[in-house]
Amino acid sequence: MKPVIVPTTDVNSETGILVQWRAENRSAVRRGQIVAEIETSKAVVEVEAPEDGWLLQAADQGAEVRLQEPIAHIFPDETALAAFAAQAAPRPPQTDNRPPGLRITDKARRLAEQHGLDLAALDRGRLITQKDIEALIAKLRVQTPADLPPPLKAKPGMERVVLVGAGMGAEQALDIMGGEPQRQAVAIIDDNPELWGRTILGVPVIGGADRLAVLHREDAFDSVLIVIGGSVEARAKFRRLCQQRGIPLTGNVIDPTAKLPRDFQIGRGNMICGFCYFGTGTRVGDNNVISAHNSFDHHNVLGCDIATGPGCMTSGRVRIGDRVRMGTGIFIEPDVVIGDDVVIASGAVVVRSIPSGHAVKTKAGSSVVVPRRPGVERTGGQS
Amino acid sequence: MNFARALGATLRHCLESDPRVIVLGEDIADPYGGAFKVTRGLSTDFPGRVRNTPVSEAAIVGLAGGLALSGFRPIVEIMFGDFLGLAFDQILNHIAKFQAMYAGQVACPVIIRTPSGGGRSYGPTHSQSLEKHFLGIPNLVVAAASLYCWPQDLFDRFLAQELPVLFIEHKLLYPLEMRVPEDGQLGDLPAVMEGSPGFPPALCVAAVPRAECAATVVAYGFAAVMALKVVESLAMEEEIFAELIVPIQLAPFDYAPVLASAARTGALITVEESVGGWAWGTEIALECNRALFGQLRRPPRVVTSERDIIPAARALESEMLINENKIRQAIRETAT
Repeated sequence: MKPVIVPTTDVNSETGILVQWRAENRSAVRRGQIVAEIETSKAVVEVEAPEDGWLLQAADQGAEVRLQEPIAHIFPDETALAAFAAQAAPRPPQTDNRPPGLRITDKARRLAEQHGLDLAALDRGRLITQKDIEALIAKLRVQTPADLPPPLKAKPGMERVVLVGAGMGAEQALDIMGGEPQRQAVAIIDDNPELWGRTILGVPVIGGADRLAVLHREDAFDSVLIVIGGSVEARAKFRRLCQQRGIPLTGNVIDPTAKLPRDFQIGRGNMICGFCYFGTGTRVGDNNVISAHNSFDHHNVLGCDIATGPGCMTSGRVRIGDRVRMGTGIFIEPDVVIGDDVVIASGAVVVRSIPSGHAVKTKAGSSVVVPRRPGVERTGGQS
Repeated sequence: MNFARALGATLRHCLESDPRVIVLGEDIADPYGGAFKVTRGLSTDFPGRVRNTPVSEAAIVGLAGGLALSGFRPIVEIMFGDFLGLAFDQILNHIAKFQAMYAGQVACPVIIRTPSGGGRSYGPTHSQSLEKHFLGIPNLVVAAASLYCWPQDLFDRFLAQELPVLFIEHKLLYPLEMRVPEDGQLGDLPAVMEGSPGFPPALCVAAVPRAECAATVVAYGFAAVMALKVVESLAMEEEIFAELIVPIQLAPFDYAPVLASAARTGALITVEESVGGWAWGTEIALECNRALFGQLRRPPRVVTSERDIIPAARALESEMLINENKIRQAIRETAT
């Protein structure tokens, strides 16, 4: 298929009028044959067929056509033409007004989806924001049913741990804890009522944060591990909540493949995934989740409530503040100080200190996606 | 109806309703109908009143000044706003001054319409937004076309007053559909038209009730179209809520809607396509800073194109001119 384009360099016009078709629709045309006349702001232009074939018109006589777009297509045979014509659906009419419906911000939609909310009850007269969804969640929480599953019974002498967050972080934690002789996860809590009653690797999701205090008073568990990876704010919030209620964080959940220094100083409630390295003199606070293959070189200091993606690497004497969120594959130079509440995008190379409350962004799209050429197997840059 | 057609219909309406109206310009008669086809068909339907002129902007505008003094209501098309330089003396020293120099015995109500702005890679001398050089000339109204206000309402207003008017039409507006608010809504967004007596009303639009907005954005021309998209996407994607004000009249300027909004939101961003420095927005920023001293959370922000000659290459041009990203960044930084 070959497009038929109006041959004009007239920069004053974006559109022209299709004055006349000189070749019939679906007829055979020869290369160089004049198929149409287009009137631009400067002149009437004759449009030639770019090659031999069968012509399918894409505009009506008298219509306004865009000069950058094909006015027709040429096909090698009638079958190809018919197949294309059958496939080309008529264009929907363009209107400025989108169909009436729920207007909701992305943040509000994500929150609503996380909580599996039915949005039909919301007021359609205005834009729904995060605040509206939070209000709806608070309203629903009051209506929580009472028939939720109890925590598992642990073997005597085992530390009974409740995981906070029923996402994939829970599965990672359960995988690491599966090999531990002294500690057992007995329940998971999550504020999304949709997940209540489900089980993750045999451990039940028993309700929301409200249930934590009740069960702790009933001595149904000993400690908590926060396994939320996506939001450092949520990590900090649940740590504060536990602190206020006098609920201890569990020791630390560390994959056996991690390499720790002899003089390791580490707080509580940390989850450290496989193949992590911590250099000598490195200190770690409470409630951090460190993904696989992170490497913190010697004399690093990590704060609390941090979440990292896989493959983050620091050089010596790096300090990382509280509630820092790091993406995947980040390199940090020696002596860099990362403030509190910093977000660092995947792939960043951090060469200087970042003040609190700042985001480190990287230029997205450094890789280019092109269709593969058949037979090209090499992964080298120029192939 | 797109803006070019709405404007053509407006000129037709002016010719029909006011026998004093004469339309002048280079190559505006049929069959060419003007470089942007705004006057297409008019010379055929109003013979003698829609006329091609020689290629001399000084002559066209001078002629229009004389016609206006003689009781006509000339409407002039300058093919590209970049050519206004050639008519500057006629506008500055003659048309804008006659009324005062002849102690009010005459008026010189010329309407000069001209396409402006870039985005079509027309190069350094066919892409500029030169209106800032005409702001502040005493006795001259500078106004900017908007998709959110019917041009006919504006031209009725211009013809009812005695002042000369420079009417700036961003060339990217011509193919776009008019979007005038209806029943307090612009599409999905709540919108009102607001202004002091004597001024054409400005569009005030936001994604949420105005009381919830954290920034005031003021923009005109095609910059207003970009700013509206940004205001909508910032609301939907980031819950950053800004109120957009689109004034018609750039000078003299009606500060009331802008000051009222900025007093509510505590932040002001002006957006225009002219090159940076000594811009329309700097004057507004200064006045807001003065009137709302201590009430703004952050210093006002003036968004303009780079101060440079506009390149013809499309990629270089888009780098130099304002764009949605630059506007988004400025609002994000000022509102939060």
